[in-house]
Amino acid sequence: MSLEVAIEKNVAGFRLAVEFTADGAALGLLGPSGSGKTMTLRAIAGLETPDHGRIVLHGRALFDSERRINVPARERRVGLLFQNYALFPHLNVAENIAFGLRCLPDAERNRRVAEQLAAAHLDGLAERYPATLSGGEQQRAALARALAIEPAALLLDEPFSALDTHLRSALERQLRETLASYRGSTLFVSHNLEEAYRVCEKLVVLSNGSVAAQGPKEEIFRHPPTLEVARVTGCKNFSRARRLLDGRVEALDWGCTLRVAQQFAKPPEHIAIRAHHVRVHAARNSTRENRENMFSCWLAAMTETPFRVTLDLRIGAPPAGPADFHLQAEIFKQEWESFRGLPQPWTIELAADRLFLLQD
Amino acid sequence: MLSLKLAVCVAGILLAAGMPIAYWVTFSRWRWKFLVEAIVALPLVLPPTVLGYYILVGLGPRHFAGRIWQAWFGHTLPFTFGGLLVASVLYSLPFAVQPISAGFEGVDRRLIEASWTLGASRLATFFRVILPLSAAGAVTGLVLSFAHTIGEFGVVLMVGGNIPGVTRTVSIDIYDQVQAANYDVANRTALVLLLFSFLVLTIIYGSNRRALGIWRRP
Repeated sequence: MSLEVAIEKNVAGFRLAVEFTADGAALGLLGPSGSGKTMTLRAIAGLETPDHGRIVLHGRALFDSERRINVPARERRVGLLFQNYALFPHLNVAENIAFGLRCLPDAERNRRVAEQLAAAHLDGLAERYPATLSGGEQQRAALARALAIEPAALLLDEPFSALDTHLRSALERQLRETLASYRGSTLFVSHNLEEAYRVCEKLVVLSNGSVAAQGPKEEIFRHPPTLEVARVTGCKNFSRARRLLDGRVEALDWGCTLRVAQQFAKPPEHIAIRAHHVRVHAARNSTRENRENMFSCWLAAMTETPFRVTLDLRIGAPPAGPADFHLQAEIFKQEWESFRGLPQPWTIELAADRLFLLQD
Repeated sequence: MLSLKLAVCVAGILLAAGMPIAYWVTFSRWRWKFLVEAIVALPLVLPPTVLGYYILVGLGPRHFAGRIWQAWFGHTLPFTFGGLLVASVLYSLPFAVQPISAGFEGVDRRLIEASWTLGASRLATFFRVILPLSAAGAVTGLVLSFAHTIGEFGVVLMVGGNIPGVTRTVSIDIYDQVQAANYDVANRTALVLLLFSFLVLTIIYGSNRRALGIWRRP
């Protein structure tokens, strides 16, 4: 069970050159919009023709520029879930699901449609037309339609982007269940890193049409290899870095010197830490101040979300204005309430095992 | 009624021939496609007499196409019902192709692609997705080519002449009656033609709207 992709395509000034392999577990294609995620999916489905390269699904070449193989989309047995679901508006749910099963005998077709309706929790909606369904129901119907043909690979193009937030988590859980019982290769395209992290085991990070990182998701989130990957995985705090003789690292943009737990062979170009790993202490006491990776800090600005606050902090001196800050810290509201009124400076702690080093 | 027979035949032929042409015009990525589009649209701007003249000469016994026809069917096309049919089909071509093509254009590309990924061939996709979703365009094309043929005068006169029972259509008959100062007869025929055209259009447009309502949000 594997999907090997190694393709190149040039379109109007954009160059796509990606190479990755997906095995049984769901593979997430993560990247900002315009990074080539959708084009990669379309190439695998046979809706775009790459200039060079090969696409091999379970040992069967779907595309091979050298051997001049280009299997048409209808013969690829690749299920594609479109971003807008692309349900046929003139057919009801059952007819949509049965669309790809025309060559089966009636009894078998009806059995499969009933099976998919049940699996997608759409039993009562078989006769309904897509326009009368909610966004979540449409998504489930489209997924059922794609799975009905028993595809060798399932490609999901931002399946939640068209849905309201409150629908997402329930549908996401359902999707994870569906994928767990699906036997082919799954590719999940998303620009939402948390979603991709929950659904997939392995990730491929795309940036400007090429693969910036790939591997097990924990690995990519813990040690993003480059600045770009760190950004895509949601890291907000970066500084240019210089290695010092004593093995510590000087963060040039933050104006401080840090001990880092991570081993590094090449001299690092940047140092980074995730906002929720930054700790803030109200205490001003000087014993803390002199400890490793702790510095005096001042608040430049604050942003509130329902349960958390983001603090923009400046190290070393009071800020000149709300935009004059070095790092962002994300903490729970209760914690914020405990020290919001206390006099500044506070103490910022950048734990050695939370800091990571990056190449360009 | 000769006009009716002609219009039904023309509309039928154009529905069948217009579909593949419209399909090609809509979905082809050929870079010189605009040339074909221009040729198809030509009858919209060409004076009927010019088109009629070329058809008359082209299908006549002195020309290649005309000679082939003569060899196969034993007679020439001009001044027969067949000639009239060929001329009317060519003349009404854009009235069928353009609405049908606009209908195809209106079908979401992603639905067509979804159909392919579900294993449907191009032909199956056409009949199961494109055509049902662009039925309004096809109906409009049918109605327009029908109505346009009923009212056609110039080309019919050039190619068909004015032979009673063979090529004398209603519109030419009216012209004859007016020439002969039979205003009563002309008036009656014109009125019949007017009411008939209006009736056909209302029926088709009315049923068309209802047919489209099925897959709209209730």
